[in-house]
Amino acid sequence: MENVIELRDVSKAFKTFLIKDMNLQIKQGYVTGFIGANGAGKSTVIKLMMNLLRPDKGEVTVFGLDHATYAKEIKERIGFVYDNNIFYNALSLKDIGKIVAPAYKRWDQTQFKNYIDRFELPVHKPIKKFSKGMKMKASLAIALSHNAELIIMDEPTAGLDPMFRRELLDIFQELMVDEKRSIFFSTHITSDLDRFADYIALIDQGEILFNQPIDELQTQYAIVKGSTALLDRDTEANFIKIDRSRNGFQALTNDVAKVTEVFGNHVVMERASLEEIMYYVRGARNLYV
Amino acid sequence: MFNLIKRDLIIQKVQLVLFVPCITFLILIGSHLPDFYIFMFAGIFIPINAYSYDEQAETNILLNSLPYTRKQIIASRYIGAIFYMALSIGLASTLFYLFGRSFMLTDIAIGAAITFILFAFTFPLFYLLKPGYIGTVILVGIVLITILSPHAVTFLQDYLIPIVHYLESISTSTLYLGSAGFIVIVYTVSWLFSQTVYQRKAF
Repeated sequence: MENVIELRDVSKAFKTFLIKDMNLQIKQGYVTGFIGANGAGKSTVIKLMMNLLRPDKGEVTVFGLDHATYAKEIKERIGFVYDNNIFYNALSLKDIGKIVAPAYKRWDQTQFKNYIDRFELPVHKPIKKFSKGMKMKASLAIALSHNAELIIMDEPTAGLDPMFRRELLDIFQELMVDEKRSIFFSTHITSDLDRFADYIALIDQGEILFNQPIDELQTQYAIVKGSTALLDRDTEANFIKIDRSRNGFQALTNDVAKVTEVFGNHVVMERASLEEIMYYVRGARNLYV
Repeated sequence: MFNLIKRDLIIQKVQLVLFVPCITFLILIGSHLPDFYIFMFAGIFIPINAYSYDEQAETNILLNSLPYTRKQIIASRYIGAIFYMALSIGLASTLFYLFGRSFMLTDIAIGAAITFILFAFTFPLFYLLKPGYIGTVILVGIVLITILSPHAVTFLQDYLIPIVHYLESISTSTLYLGSAGFIVIVYTVSWLFSQTVYQRKAF
């Protein structure tokens, strides 16, 4: 299986934030959800992938190509959506189309018009008069109109109403009919990913904590509830992080089989949601940092 | 590259509509203004306006996410400035002619020369400084020039007469060629400098 994006030993230092020797492989043909709290480094990683930032050390390749030599070729094949509006505020969507379209060899004007109609976007109104949702739809219409093989999105669902978020996820699913196409998108709304992502990568304080198939996460991780009497130094080793209360404990494990073997029927095991995995894994990390 | 240059026409649609009445106003009302000054104003209009748009961080994120190289983005600015300056001066000349105000080719040459020098010194500032600071720096620059220029003139006084004598001694064609050569060098150095700064920039 090929990697569409690869970060190899990438380091990037800022005044208050650091990425150190990051390794990340994003699989071609799949949807990867990139999760992490605000300020965890999601946007920085996306900027490194888009060559908006240069790493201090290490290598970033997209489609197996490096930005230094193949900047144009790479970006020709990428559709991008950022969390802020990056288009000229005073211009209409029609004019923005006129600026963006000639940049791409494979621009599809019919496709662009179809998305404008589908999203019910006004073509003559200045972007600054668009709502947050409309701006996002406009970005998407542009990102999806040049047959991009890779779509990179930074928080595309943030600030959108649930109806449109749902619609957006449906569009992504339609796009993924093309087996070669890959989607990489960051979000802190993990519920968006449960029914849609193939892979989940979790970042915290500039470090990738895991990057694995969502099915694997769901079988590997579980929330375990039981009496605190069951906990001692040996049994605690089976958990990533434990929350204790008067009624007992609740913990996250990444080894369901082992917990079953150790605790048998004395504990209750539930499927861990992505949000719970993120919460406990981050919590455990902060405990030991 | 051509698409990047054409972009300015789309972005500055409204300003372009204002361009003709503005120049016409200067030609008709500004009879006290030297002709080269009007040509200089015409030449500066579109390129500097374009930079005020590109100053925004978002625009750089957009341009760098599209299939363009950073070299092309800078080249489009420097080549675009020449293109739009030539176009604007051509248009201004037509307006001069239409409104019966006479001018000499020397006025165009001086206007264009000053514009080029101004571009060469201003353009790198847009890449060196953070958005929003350029206006302040230019303002401080003007204040400094105002304060320092009398001292500079006093300093140059001793050298001024020999310089004038030297300029008088050389032929007009040599003077023009020499100035053109000087401008080409300054503009090219500015271009290469901006390119180096922009290549390393983070957005």
